[in-house]
Amino acid sequence: MKRLWLTAAALLGLGLLASGGAQEGHPLKGSWLGEWSGNTDNGDNILLILDWDGKAITGMINPGTDNIPLTRASLDPNGWAVKLEAEGKDKDGSAVRYVIEGKIENLELPNRSINGTWSSNKGRGAFMASRQ
Amino acid sequence: MNVRSAAHWCFGFGAAIMAPLAAAHHAIVAKFDEAKRTELRGIVTGVDWRNPHVHVFTNVERADGSVENWAVELESTVLLKRSGWEHDTLKPGDAISVSGPTARDGSRQVWGERLVSAATNRQVYNVTDSAPERPRSPRPAPRGADGKPLLGAADAKGGYWAYPTSTVLQQSGANVRMDKDGVLARISDAPRVAPFQPWALGLYQHRQQRHLADDPGFLNCKNPGAVRQLQTPNGVQFVEDSARQRVFVLIGGGNRNYRIIYMDGRDQQGQVQGDDDNPLYYGRAVAHWENDTFVVNSTGFNEDFWFTNGGLPHTDRLSLVERFTRTDYDTLRYEVTIDDPGAYTQPWSSGWELKWVEGELPVYFCQDNRS
Repeated sequence: MKRLWLTAAALLGLGLLASGGAQEGHPLKGSWLGEWSGNTDNGDNILLILDWDGKAITGMINPGTDNIPLTRASLDPNGWAVKLEAEGKDKDGSAVRYVIEGKIENLELPNRSINGTWSSNKGRGAFMASRQ
Repeated sequence: MNVRSAAHWCFGFGAAIMAPLAAAHHAIVAKFDEAKRTELRGIVTGVDWRNPHVHVFTNVERADGSVENWAVELESTVLLKRSGWEHDTLKPGDAISVSGPTARDGSRQVWGERLVSAATNRQVYNVTDSAPERPRSPRPAPRGADGKPLLGAADAKGGYWAYPTSTVLQQSGANVRMDKDGVLARISDAPRVAPFQPWALGLYQHRQQRHLADDPGFLNCKNPGAVRQLQTPNGVQFVEDSARQRVFVLIGGGNRNYRIIYMDGRDQQGQVQGDDDNPLYYGRAVAHWENDTFVVNSTGFNEDFWFTNGGLPHTDRLSLVERFTRTDYDTLRYEVTIDDPGAYTQPWSSGWELKWVEGELPVYFCQDNRS
């Protein structure tokens, strides 16, 4: 699993190098790399792909490895609070419902970050991801 | 002219009075704090004659006898040259006095609002540039073989469009007060500027609160794509290639890059060789004539730049309908409808006029300001 994740991250990195990282549109749109510390089911590392279609934020956690689709996502521009909900599976195949809550820091930068917490029915911990 | 467009043009001309020219490559307030002003006397140690801003380095003697070197920031070489100044108007060793706002970050930089040569007691490197005077009787717009007005030059003298009557963007009739760079007089007016989606309003307010300091056009020399190309102080030049049914728009404020507008009936297909020449800062544009108005439809913009002065956000769903009307030889009316369902709740419109300037488009190359 870790090798797969690293491969995905490396491919993403190459792709981003080719495309450049500037993004002045919707603040959540793009690829985010970081950690959800203490996640025993999906590992500490997280890759988030987020998009904005003009009405809704959509996305995927760890695409190509764990494939955890977002079920709900919101951004409150009053304080730039982010809430992401997703449903994945643990190693035994049981459903795990994730909730990530945080705040966008350094909104003005291309490599802005989301800092906060993650929680599930199996654990919780700190969350941090930076836009690539 | 209906009431709405009359109000719109009245605003445009009002803005012209308040903000005659977007003279700076970046908002001055992005870097300098009007509340922290200084007056200095010193000796010039060097003149850095480069875009986007010229700098005069000056040794200033403090009360305790120590010497500090200050950077006096000025307008671009293009605007200073248009005003009659040269790189050697001041030389190392010249005594000067300078007044203006100092840098927000506390570094020894001052915006050279007033710079006076001690030798002559005259102000130097000030911008006196203004639009060419309009002839007393308007000259008719020149026309091509097809009878349509020419957007470019009619003869070998050449020419381009500059001195926009407004250098900011806001929806018609909004009449929100802002400076020539698009910095709002009151941030509470932000919701009236355009029909923002909540995130776009929040981001616009954030950029305004930071005095537009994050403008990628200033920080990273990102192209003045979309509407912004018609707001730059250096203007745009239309080159009409009727044989190939396309119009090239050369961007005076954009490192000599250009936009292609196709008139050969194609759909939004981009350039023949694909999008490898980074055209998406200027979108993919197709056009047709409606009587004497050149109507351009553009889509396919990337999100790597600010599409207008003032920091209004856009997304890759942005499309523009631009209407160019050469109402007489010396006047180009520009009207634009912005449709971006990713950032705005509904399409909205704005517009202004540009003046004909005879001669060559100024040569301007941006230099990175990130460091």
